Amino acid sequence: MSIDMSQFYQVFFEETSEHLASMENLLLNLDVAAPSLEYLNAIFRAAHSIKGGSGTFGFTDMTSVTHVLETLLDRLRKEEIALRADMVDAFLAAGDVLRAQLEHHQGGPEADAGEIETLCARLNRLAAGNVEASEIEAAPAAGEPAPARRIRLDCLLPSNVARVPEAIDNLLDALRDVAAVEVKHRPDGADGQLIAVLTTQASDTGLKEALAFYCAPEEVSIQPETEEAAAPVVDGSAAFFDDFAPSPTLPSPAPADQDDGFGLFADAPGAPTTQPEQALVAPGDSPAAIEGPGYGMYVDAPSGLGLFDGAPGSDHAIRTTAPAPFPDNAAASVTATIDVTATIGRRLADNPTIETAKAGRRDNDKIVTAANTDTSIRVAVEKVDQLINLVGELVITQAMLAEAAGNLEPVLAEKLLAGIDLLARNTRDMQESVMSIRMLPMSMVFSRFPRVVRDLAGLLNKQVEMKTIGDSTELDKGLIEKITDPMTHLVRNSLDHGIETPDKRIAAGKNPKGTLTLKASHQGGNVVIEVIDDGGGLNRARILEKAKENGLPVSDGMSDHEVWQLIFAPGFSTVDVVTDVSGRGVGMDVVKRNIESLGGRVELESSPGFGTRTVIRLPLTLAILDGMSVGVGGETFVIPITTVIESLQPRLDDLRTLAGDSRMVHIRGEYLPLISLADAFGLEGQADITQGILVVVEAEESKAALFVDELLGQQQVVIKSLEANYRKVPGLSGATIMGDGRVAMIIDVAAVTRMGLSQRASRALPDSPDIAKRQLTA
Amino acid sequence: MDTPETRSLAASGEYLTFTLGAEEYAIDILKVQEIRGYDAVTKIANAPPFIKGVINLRGIIVPIVDLRIKFNLGNAAYDPFTVVIILNIGKRVMGIVVDGVSDVIQLNADNLHPSPEFSSILDTSYLLGLGTVEERMIIVVDIERLMSSQEMSLVEAAAA
Repeated sequence: MSIDMSQFYQVFFEETSEHLASMENLLLNLDVAAPSLEYLNAIFRAAHSIKGGSGTFGFTDMTSVTHVLETLLDRLRKEEIALRADMVDAFLAAGDVLRAQLEHHQGGPEADAGEIETLCARLNRLAAGNVEASEIEAAPAAGEPAPARRIRLDCLLPSNVARVPEAIDNLLDALRDVAAVEVKHRPDGADGQLIAVLTTQASDTGLKEALAFYCAPEEVSIQPETEEAAAPVVDGSAAFFDDFAPSPTLPSPAPADQDDGFGLFADAPGAPTTQPEQALVAPGDSPAAIEGPGYGMYVDAPSGLGLFDGAPGSDHAIRTTAPAPFPDNAAASVTATIDVTATIGRRLADNPTIETAKAGRRDNDKIVTAANTDTSIRVAVEKVDQLINLVGELVITQAMLAEAAGNLEPVLAEKLLAGIDLLARNTRDMQESVMSIRMLPMSMVFSRFPRVVRDLAGLLNKQVEMKTIGDSTELDKGLIEKITDPMTHLVRNSLDHGIETPDKRIAAGKNPKGTLTLKASHQGGNVVIEVIDDGGGLNRARILEKAKENGLPVSDGMSDHEVWQLIFAPGFSTVDVVTDVSGRGVGMDVVKRNIESLGGRVELESSPGFGTRTVIRLPLTLAILDGMSVGVGGETFVIPITTVIESLQPRLDDLRTLAGDSRMVHIRGEYLPLISLADAFGLEGQADITQGILVVVEAEESKAALFVDELLGQQQVVIKSLEANYRKVPGLSGATIMGDGRVAMIIDVAAVTRMGLSQRASRALPDSPDIAKRQLTA
Repeated sequence: MDTPETRSLAASGEYLTFTLGAEEYAIDILKVQEIRGYDAVTKIANAPPFIKGVINLRGIIVPIVDLRIKFNLGNAAYDPFTVVIILNIGKRVMGIVVDGVSDVIQLNADNLHPSPEFSSILDTSYLLGLGTVEERMIIVVDIERLMSSQEMSLVEAAAA
């Protein structure tokens, strides 16, 4: 009888997601130039735990990916190979794949098998055949910097690149990153020939990698400058043009104007067909090998086997367009290699620079966190909630005892009273510590953003530095989960619309690298979360213009604050082009709605040229609400304080009727609909309106005056679900238990407002000229 | 789960009996969480009259149904002897107001008979049968089925 493992699945899923998250976090903080061994070990441990877990539970697909990952990590942490930026990319990709696999096991869509294969190949390649690339880094690292040398670079750009002057500029910029460049012949339109003299320390491979994004490495020829563009003399080069290169122009005699050495383009029928395989083994053996037969590995690049056909005057026709037939077993490795080279090329070209702000204490935090995990236990949330409930009851019982003891003669019951005092203090402390169990630090939310920012900045060609302040601010677990989506939206917005591209920033006299700051802090009973960017700010004129187009009621005289609020209107986007990132106009309204449903508020501040600040204010916990308790017909109701604007005693003169029955109240120039809570909830309330109280509330942008019998007080209440044992009641968002142990209903102000309005609309109206005398009860 | 066999199988066991007016009812004792006195309830807006409201049961909000009103039995007066039976059905907790709790009885195939088809406020599909103990007729209610039924309006329409 085997043990049913599925009962432990959930634990595995949770642990694995945590491991993946911590792995990603560590990777993003990893300094590629000087990786901390501790970090590498931590990443390795995370991968190892996932591998172990997935193996135990029989998720072999995850085991195989982590195995490959682990192999590479193991070599890294043993310092057998040096870490490179493309490895970090591969690790991050591996993390994504693992996450997809994990979701699949949790019932999500199946992970893309092709992607997994490509990734494994990529990792394998990095782990095993890494020698080639590591050589580049190893050489300078070994303390033997290559001497600067003058070389002549000669390459043939594909026509799609050659036609675009900016592309050529980018290419030259990429080269300038590694070398001093002197352009001899600039490509122009159909003529894709680029000739330049470089002074550089970089190896030939390094140069070719810098160009890899623009043209196939075999199109690049590099010779010492003195050698006057002589064709490379490479042994066995002819072997490349053997019969598996089905170029239509082969055999092609070298055109007459070619320099010497081009005999290599002659048909070589007898060439050994095993060449590509040898070539695959060869790369990295030595720089010469790369220049030589090593290029067999780039065989499926568009220009095929035309290894040195970029040499001056060579016949461009000698290019094979058909992919070269290739031994199957080598195919995967080749793909992986191309992938890697392309990545490097892209990195050099775009160079998205993302850094997470590394406050000095950050590293310490990590270590503390690592130590903490060993001493923490995993407890189901329900158990914690049960504990919170019980403590809540204890507080009520204690209050009851204290009240009963208040009637005792202090002299006689001295000891009892002292004990009750002590009990009061202990229960309060206990309540606080129990509540803190549910609290999690904001870093749980913030930690996912470095990756988002990194990826997005790369996609948008922007340079962004992300800073976080107040990582340790604590927030209820339920809120933490629900705040992430709106935050992600705000961060994406800031990156897409807020922070400008580096050249625009330079033009505006700003640091080309934008800053995105995520900040959390406690303010009174609230948690304040801010998303701050130092981008261009909101464009007032543009927003107004768009709002007019969308038919929103706007005027040019609106205050900035009102204008910014327009952004929260559904379907509002000032962006003309919808991108992957944002601009569809679904967004800010959703953000606002989500946050309001959590009992919070969103505010925007912006100044043109200096950036935008979005401020989210949330209650400390979902379970606690600041409420105003009011009495209606003998029952107690709680109105969330965030919705209350003011309360006042109405005067008869302020009351107006609309269409006979609809009551309006005139408060400081505004006419507000008057809704009687007694009517809305079918209770016998205060009949005389001047004896009651009006509570002016605002919800979903509309104001209303709620008529109640009396105000009872203001207090924090613990929200209890009505739905758990009953069902949703229209107009109520939940219930709570008051100090005397009785249940009070919490009013859903928006729903009550809607209900009140529709009820009045549908009700048959008794006529009564005197509003004040009218029974308000239904 | 709802074949006649499973229903009669489930019907054997210990039952809590209570009175509603002159009638005696029984429910599966395993569904009973506790018995307590009737406390002040908080009314729920726009609920049917037999739903008295909700109470605070050690931090849990529990709806209270007065079966006397629902079945039109006895007079729904609330005095110190009025009893609330707290039921634990599925994952929900709810209370029923009855006139009094009388006994715990053992019912099995011998003294539990299928209920005849008849028409009453209480649909026969909510009955497990009629029990006979010492010449008394005891109406055995499938309390889980009854309380989760649509007509009790205790659950969301979609969930019912």
